Amino acid sequence: MSLDVPLQIHRQKEGVAPHRDLFRVSVADSATVLDAIEAAWAWHDGTIQFRHACHHASCGSCAVRVNGIERLPCVTAITDVWDGASDVVVEPLRNFPVAADLVVDVSTLFDRLEASEMSPLRPVEHALPVEIGERPRTDDGTMVAPAGIERFMRFESCIECGICISACPTAALGGKFYGPAGLAAVQRARAEATAATEVDAILGSVDGEHGVWRCHSAWECTERCPQGLDPAGAIMSLRRELTARRLRRLFRR
Amino acid sequence: MKTMETRTPERPPPPRRLASGLDPRRRGAGSWAFVLSRITGLGLVVYLYVHLGVLSLLARGPESWDSFIDVVRSKPFLALDVVVIAGWLVHALNGIRVTLANFSFGARVQKAMFSVAMVVAAVLLVIMSVLIFEGS
Repeated sequence: MSLDVPLQIHRQKEGVAPHRDLFRVSVADSATVLDAIEAAWAWHDGTIQFRHACHHASCGSCAVRVNGIERLPCVTAITDVWDGASDVVVEPLRNFPVAADLVVDVSTLFDRLEASEMSPLRPVEHALPVEIGERPRTDDGTMVAPAGIERFMRFESCIECGICISACPTAALGGKFYGPAGLAAVQRARAEATAATEVDAILGSVDGEHGVWRCHSAWECTERCPQGLDPAGAIMSLRRELTARRLRRLFRR
Repeated sequence: MKTMETRTPERPPPPRRLASGLDPRRRGAGSWAFVLSRITGLGLVVYLYVHLGVLSLLARGPESWDSFIDVVRSKPFLALDVVVIAGWLVHALNGIRVTLANFSFGARVQKAMFSVAMVVAAVLLVIMSVLIFEGS
């Protein structure tokens, strides 16, 4: 069965005031929101700019706000967001500069991750629970990467879609806040660190006004994470450890 | 060859809404708690300054103060007291929830903690309202 969905899409380009265009798109009832955006682009207006790649919640590049809420449109069924009467409103993520229409400049997300000094990448041999393939290994068991690749890497569960930053009311206030994804990366590094100097350095990197203390505890990052991660819980965990360390230092004096 | 339609899209009027960072609609319990805390916090700050201003009446002598007290014992003013108490209860109980969760105590059940805090606030508000109006 096909549906005729009224789809409002945010439009923004240099020299044109931001506004929304309404398209009535015809899509299958099994369609996703991304299918509807693509239908608007293919059959109504080829100048609509949006970003997507994998179509299965792996790349995170298509993240937008649907009816005001951050979602990955590639895995959001149109029937989950359309009541059959009202317009479905698609807007770019908040708290990022809009490059054009639904495309935001996510470089600030990577700036925040870099500011946290924690790489979101790690060697795959440390991350996978099982051995893969027949790849040769060095004496210590590390897999040898193919020629031209320095080492195996994989993204952690965070797909760096930017949804947590868009959903975060603290990030909406601007500033240099590391943001939920950056702080969660720090907490993950902290969980793995064992050397005291390393732990000190990791905790010190977020013990400031732009770090864990900036969060206003709205839990919206955790609420919206399409990967089911818990950045807010990670921030609380860092706060608890930092507070405990300060209290210990206070009573030692 | 299929050609692309060139219909001019309809342009709906621009939306009117709250600053998007402070709009909790369709968001989680944590966002509602965040917004309620800000609103009640600002309200209590305003109330504090009004309260301090009112207390300055004491400097004008007992007559000035007594006549003011007669006014604030009227039902409409007692209703305003209930509003202040509601703001105080929401802010204080949510503050306890946030403080606990910020130290990782119950962070995973923060939604349930918010519900409990609001139920406790509602019960205490009813009790305090009855006491206020019965005693008037």
